[in-house]
Amino acid sequence: MTNWWRFVIAAEIRKILAFRTDFWITFVGQTLIQILIARALWQAIFESAGKEVMEGFTLHMMTLYYLLVPIGSKMLTGENVGFLSREIYDGTFNRYLIYPLSFFQYKTLTYLTYSAFYGLQFILVYFLYLIFQGNGITPSNVINLFLGASLFMIASYAYGMLAMFIELISLWADNIWTLMVMCRFFSFFFGGAYMPLNFFPMWLQEIVQFTPFPYLVSLPIRTTMGLASTIEIATGLGVLIIWAILFRLAASLLWSKGQFRYNGVGI
Amino acid sequence: MKRYATLYLYFLRFSFSKAMEFRLDFSFRIIMDVIYYMVNILLFKILFLHTDLIAGWTEEQMMIFVSSYLLVDAINMTIFSTNMWWLPYFINKGELDYYLIRPVSPLFFLSLREFSANSFINLIIAFGFFTYSIATYSLPWEWEKLFGLLILMINGSLIYYCIQMLMVIPVFWTHSARGFVDLFYTLGLAMERPDRIFKGWLRVLFTVILPFGLIASFPARYFIEGFDTKTFFHLAMVSAGLWIVMLTVWRWGLKNYSSASS
Repeated sequence: MTNWWRFVIAAEIRKILAFRTDFWITFVGQTLIQILIARALWQAIFESAGKEVMEGFTLHMMTLYYLLVPIGSKMLTGENVGFLSREIYDGTFNRYLIYPLSFFQYKTLTYLTYSAFYGLQFILVYFLYLIFQGNGITPSNVINLFLGASLFMIASYAYGMLAMFIELISLWADNIWTLMVMCRFFSFFFGGAYMPLNFFPMWLQEIVQFTPFPYLVSLPIRTTMGLASTIEIATGLGVLIIWAILFRLAASLLWSKGQFRYNGVGI
Repeated sequence: MKRYATLYLYFLRFSFSKAMEFRLDFSFRIIMDVIYYMVNILLFKILFLHTDLIAGWTEEQMMIFVSSYLLVDAINMTIFSTNMWWLPYFINKGELDYYLIRPVSPLFFLSLREFSANSFINLIIAFGFFTYSIATYSLPWEWEKLFGLLILMINGSLIYYCIQMLMVIPVFWTHSARGFVDLFYTLGLAMERPDRIFKGWLRVLFTVILPFGLIASFPARYFIEGFDTKTFFHLAMVSAGLWIVMLTVWRWGLKNYSSASS
C-alpha cells in the first residue's frame, strides 16, 4: 500500500471523466455563460458611468477577471465537498474506518485531485486567452500564471479544511449542507468572485482583510493577472497558510471528539 | 381538477410534517436563503456606488427588479426545486416506475410532490422585500401595473420551471447524476440581470431560446416603463412555445425510459 495515493488519484480522475459529455458541456457552458453575462453587465456599467477605467479595471481586464473566476472557483470547491455529511448520515462513513490509511489524508487527496484537475483547465484557458488575444505567451505571463495557480492550490487546501470542519459538524447535527452553502456565499462574495474587491466601499474592504475570503479567490486571480505586488503575494501566501493550518486544527479537533459519536449505522 | 387539488393538499400536509422533523435544518435553510437575498441586494447596492444608472434603471428601479427575481426564485424553491433535485435519482434508479403506474399525471406528481416548507418562510421574506421596494418607489405607479407585474412573475416562475425541466430531462439519455442542472444554475445568472444589458445574439438567446430575461426583467420593465403590444405578444408566444417544447421533450424522454435497468 505504499503507492495507495496513486490508486486514489486514478479512481478520482475516472470519476470526474465518467460522464464526459456532461462534464465538457457543463465546463465549457458554465465558463462561457458566466463570462458573457458578466461582460454584458460591466459593459452596461462602463457605458452608464462614461468611464474607461473603474477602480483600476478596464472592461478588457474585467473580462479576463470573469474568465478566471469560474474555473478558479471550481478549483477551490472541487466536486468532492458535501459528501462527508451524507456518508455520516447514511452510515457509509464506515469504510473510512476500515481503510488502512488516515481519514484526513484520504479525504485531502481526493479533494486536491479535483482541484488539480481544474487547475489544468485554469492553465489551459489562460493560455488560450493569451493566444487569442494576440498578446502572446511571455515569461512574465507564465510566472504570474504559475504563482496564481499555486496560490489557488493552497487556497483549495484551506477551503477544503474549512469544508471538512463544517461537514464534521454532521456528527452532531443531522443535516448541514445549508452551512456549506452559506460558507460558499460568504467565500465567493467577500472573496471577490461576484466583483473585484476594489469596488467594495473602503470600510468593507478593510473588514474583509481580517477574514480568509480575499485570499481564497481575489488574490490568486489578481496574481495571475499580474495585478498583485510581490509583497502582496508573499503576505497573502503567509496568511493563507496560517488559515489553512487553523482550519486543519479545528477539523482535527472536531474529528477527535466527534468520531466517538458515530454509531456506524447512519441516522 | 378537484382530484388534483385534493392531492396537492395532501402533498402540503406531508411536506410540512416532514420539515418539522428536522428543526435545526429548517432554521438553517431559512438563514441560508436570507443570506442569498442579502448578497444579491448588496451586489447591486455596491454597483450603484459607482454609477447612477445600470441598463437605464436607477437604484430604486433596480431594487424592484431584484426583489422580483428573488420572489420568483422563492416561488420556485418552494414549489418545484426539491422535486427537480430528486428527478434524476428516480430516473437512474428506476423508481420512476412507481410514479408512472399511478392514476395521475406523472409530470404533476413528480413536479409538485415535495413542497419546501422552509422555503415558504423565505417566500414570505422575499414578498416583504418586494412590498418594501414597491412602497418606497418614489415615482407614481398604478395598481393595474402592480397586478400585471404579479401575473407576469407567476408566468416567469413557469418559464423558470420549464427551463429547469429541460435541463433535467436529458438524464433519460445521459443517465448522469444531475443532468445539466449545474449549467442551469449558471444560466440562472441571466435571470438576475436586466435584459437590456444583453445585445445581439446574446439577447436572442436570453429572450427567445432560453428566455431567462422574461422571468423577472420583462415583468419589472412592465411595471416601471409599461409594454407595447409587440412585447406582450413576444412574452406570450415564447412562454407558450417553451411549455409545448417542455411537454414534448418530457414525453420523448418517457418513451426512452427503460425502467430499473436505466
